[in-house]
Amino acid sequence: MSGDVWVYSESEGVSAEVASAAQDVARGASAEVRVVDIGSPRQGIRGSGVRLLLKGPSGPDVSPAVAAEALARAAKDLSPVAVLLGATRDGREAASRLAAKLGVGCMAEVVKLASDGQGVTGERNVYAGKVVAKTRCQFPAVVTVKTGAYPRAEALPERTQEVEVGQVSDRSKVVGREKKAAGGVDLRSAKVIVSAGRGVKKREDLSMLEDLAVTMHGALGCSRPLSADLGWLPEEHHIGLTGVTVKPDLYLAIGISGQLQHVAGMKDSKIVASINTDKDAPIFQASDYCIVGDLYQVVPALRRALSARR
Amino acid sequence: MKIAVCVKHAVDEAELRLDTEGRPVLAGAAGKMSTFDKNAVEEGLRLKSAHQGEVVVFVVGAAESKKTLKEALAMGADRGVFVAADPLVIDALRTASMLAAAIRRSGPYDVVICSEGSSDTYTGQVPPMLGELLGVAYVGYARKIEVTGGSARVERSLEDSVEAVETSVPFAVSVVSEINEPRYPTLVQIMQASKKPIEELNGGEIAPPGTISGVEVVSMSSQPSTRKHVMIEGGPDEAAAKLLDALSREGVLK
Amino acid sequence: MAGLDVGYLAAYAISFASVAAVAFAVVYFSRRWSVSLGPARIWGLGRDEARRLKTGDPVFLMHLSIALGVGLTIADAVLAPAMGMAPLLLAAFRVASVPLAAGLAVAFGWRVQRYFQSRRVGREVHVTEGFASASKTLQIVLMAAIALTTSELVLLWFPALGWADLLLDAARNSLVAGYYARPSINLFAKFDRPLASLRTPFNLADVMAGKTDPEAIKVGVGKVSDFTADQSLSFDSCVEIGACEAACPATAAGRPLSPRVLVRKVSLLSRAGRESDPFTSVAEDELWSCTSCGACVASCPVGVKHLDVIYDLRRELVSKGKLDKEKSGMLANLAQSQNPYGFKNSTRAGWAEGLGIDTLAANPKAEYLYWVGCVSSFDQRAQRIAKALAKILKSAGVSFAILGGEEMCVGDPARRLGEEGRYQELALQNIEKLNSYGVKKIIATCPHCFNALKNEYPQFGAKFDVVYHTQLISDLIRDGKVSVPREKVQNISVTLHDACYASRYNSVFDQPREALAASVHDLREMGRRKEKTFCCGAGGSNYWFNVPHRRSIAGIRAEEAARTGAKTIATECPFCLSMFDDATKVTNSGMDVRDVAEIVAECI
Repeated sequence: MSGDVWVYSESEGVSAEVASAAQDVARGASAEVRVVDIGSPRQGIRGSGVRLLLKGPSGPDVSPAVAAEALARAAKDLSPVAVLLGATRDGREAASRLAAKLGVGCMAEVVKLASDGQGVTGERNVYAGKVVAKTRCQFPAVVTVKTGAYPRAEALPERTQEVEVGQVSDRSKVVGREKKAAGGVDLRSAKVIVSAGRGVKKREDLSMLEDLAVTMHGALGCSRPLSADLGWLPEEHHIGLTGVTVKPDLYLAIGISGQLQHVAGMKDSKIVASINTDKDAPIFQASDYCIVGDLYQVVPALRRALSARR
Repeated sequence: MKIAVCVKHAVDEAELRLDTEGRPVLAGAAGKMSTFDKNAVEEGLRLKSAHQGEVVVFVVGAAESKKTLKEALAMGADRGVFVAADPLVIDALRTASMLAAAIRRSGPYDVVICSEGSSDTYTGQVPPMLGELLGVAYVGYARKIEVTGGSARVERSLEDSVEAVETSVPFAVSVVSEINEPRYPTLVQIMQASKKPIEELNGGEIAPPGTISGVEVVSMSSQPSTRKHVMIEGGPDEAAAKLLDALSREGVLK
Repeated sequence: MAGLDVGYLAAYAISFASVAAVAFAVVYFSRRWSVSLGPARIWGLGRDEARRLKTGDPVFLMHLSIALGVGLTIADAVLAPAMGMAPLLLAAFRVASVPLAAGLAVAFGWRVQRYFQSRRVGREVHVTEGFASASKTLQIVLMAAIALTTSELVLLWFPALGWADLLLDAARNSLVAGYYARPSINLFAKFDRPLASLRTPFNLADVMAGKTDPEAIKVGVGKVSDFTADQSLSFDSCVEIGACEAACPATAAGRPLSPRVLVRKVSLLSRAGRESDPFTSVAEDELWSCTSCGACVASCPVGVKHLDVIYDLRRELVSKGKLDKEKSGMLANLAQSQNPYGFKNSTRAGWAEGLGIDTLAANPKAEYLYWVGCVSSFDQRAQRIAKALAKILKSAGVSFAILGGEEMCVGDPARRLGEEGRYQELALQNIEKLNSYGVKKIIATCPHCFNALKNEYPQFGAKFDVVYHTQLISDLIRDGKVSVPREKVQNISVTLHDACYASRYNSVFDQPREALAASVHDLREMGRRKEKTFCCGAGGSNYWFNVPHRRSIAGIRAEEAARTGAKTIATECPFCLSMFDDATKVTNSGMDVRDVAEIVAECI
């Protein structure tokens, strides 16, 4: 099969990562990578010599329904071997719709993509991250690539090829959009959580941890005593058995002793790092990285090191 | 209002066992109603209590899946449809096509509700595929659904924004867990629900397999699930630097 | 006394009629609820009252003063015409009147104080104006009854005012007939119903065997007529003494619950109509605030069973699916993983690894089964309790084993939350497992497991000899099987926090003190101790969810412990341990918290 590997340029950051993944697939399939824009060209996402612009859909926002329909029409004509999208919520929806329209297999949230010339292989986490499944799908295939799994692709010189796909309509209409509150604690969906425990001595000192959380693009959580007993933070920050259950990529437990009450709420975090003065604190049993030390020294040091890196 | 809710009898990841070579033992593994599917059932029940009508629950899977169907019936759904299929073989598109066929047979429905993804494999593909296959409007990741007459307003919860969408009945929708707090069916209610009707269908018959091979699982292996317990030594600055190095190696530092 | 003037005769007649009315009310209510008034019951009640007096709770002393004061003045009124001829009897009555009048004066003072307290509580608990005024009326009526009785006792000393005494008596007796007869009958009927007994609306084994149709099962109370006649009698017996409210940890913490208000709300509702929905006046958080510590029931002088209302209404909320995610999540965990945390249940013996502890499967001949319980199985801190007990048992040469991954939650969190079905399912599965190994003797380190195994499981066919770890440890020390060498006795000051389900529910309170006395130099006592202990805040399933409060129950108790000057809080329950671990962090008292078993184990 001689088709190309397509990358839908849904959004700048994610799609640049997907372009890297596409290069892995293209290499194995002896194919070319094509970044595909829908409606209008997107800035900043590069990775292919030739870029496709699907003309027809208009407007600044392309809904997953419109993206799937436009990609499906173009794919029927141009027969790509694979269409790759970022595994964002919109990307996953568009990919699933596209696969259903084309009647082909769809691989979800994959890392480590490769191709043997006949299909795509990739790995993904299943069963709450306990198991890695290696999956395979024959060409043509639709794939969503896990965000953060690949580095952004390097920019390449490009020329754009326009493809007319016609008007595409969506049965649903977007009537409003608002940012989720920046400091708003949606702990359940936060990728990074900085969590405070009773090792924090005064209410005012929480701002130090909040700063750290903001620097790390994360949210601030706490153990039960801080919210339920001291009332230093509202209840929605409370992580634990009687609070929120979270599964972030990084859980940074600061001054938390690690009673089961607390651990039960964060035990499924991908990576846990903790800072505590007591080397026997149970939290270290539930941690990947442990620093025995005073949070009043380590947290400022972390802040300094983080700003030095950015 | 006729409401279809699709649920999955998922592998209970907490009770999952591994064989001597570290592969998960899926045959006979303990199962449960997929976590977020409880939100889907709950939302169906809430729509019913606001608009009257009927809630029908669909499940595709092995015979054990009827346990999940009964749990949904105990929560308050009116009847169930069980579609027999081997969950270890079918991929998302096959599952969606069986659900679509079963829904068409007992439809039409005003609203088809799924959860955003299953708690075991979490591909999140079945709901949009189902929307496509049924040929109705589809809205993903709903955190709020309001139906007024022939139209509906849905709030979609995206990564960093909330999108309000207007669509028309009939439509399919996937819900996120923040949409509601699912009710807990008591043991007595589960026993009482055993009298509610369950229709049994065969997936291969109602949706004959096509020519596509779909996604196959080549192999599975376990990830070390125990914590690493790396003690980071040194003064505050040294320890902080070492920690950040370790975290970026893990790929968890944004 | 000039015996035959018409006024006096009229007063006597009125008084006599009022006595007859009291007698009639007592007989009527005893018939109405089929309560036997035979000598055996009377003797039993007397003994029970004596037991309650021994706890030193002033409420029971006041209660006794009122009962004897009313009895004495009735006798005086009936015998009034003959009193002139029986100077010795009169003298005896007068002597008795002095302490009784003092007791009544104290009771009056208590009521005045509770009256003002109840106004404060009324601001924290949701009450309507109608409720507040009904409550006020009842409290004033009963203050009047006490004042009248006291005045009668005083008038014993003024024979010239005999007619006035008789009229006061008549007035008081009509209050007694109207307000005290029912509580008396209730007390009489219920004094021997144990605190640990719970209404069981169905038996799951019968349902599974097809003997009971699941459709016919009614769990919970959705309208007041769903309460049993016995329960209605109990709730209608409340005369707002307020002893429950004074003892209640939830009220003390400013949670939206007062057991007095709750019971009176239900009682007033049933008067409004048999079909009234209790949730029109009872709030959900009011019910979730209860820690099931039993202080209300134990302190009620007229035998009201407040916990019955709580459990029945909680069951209704569970049936209606009115649970927040903490509660429903815990129940779902029990259903899915057989432990409230949702951990893989087969890993529950992780704490025992490398300690040479057998499972029953490996050693079915072990004398004792050690029932570990979920907290000590999974909570790293509480695992030290299990390890400490194992060390003690091994050093004493006691043969024991555990169930390991075959142990499931005993079901207490489900039952106290109101999910009776899940509780019974767990109970039946556990009983079947224990019977399959032929288990005879069980040791428990969690008082909730202990109470369920000992008092509740027999209802579902269990026959085990269940001992609490503090009992066994104390026995082993007494019998010399565990010896604490003099130099190992710890030079620390310790105060024991009695766990409600060990002390109040099961009267285990002397043995843990004996065990501690043998292990530490300085054992101090808190004011509220033994069967009058004050909850840690975790019972009644409260460990698993949050209720709004002014301050934490554990915090109140931790401060009480700190006031003894002791440096260590000794606990005997893994839940109490966990609560105080948190509470002492907040109060910064620097106290450490250890189980009795840990303290003893450190000495051997």
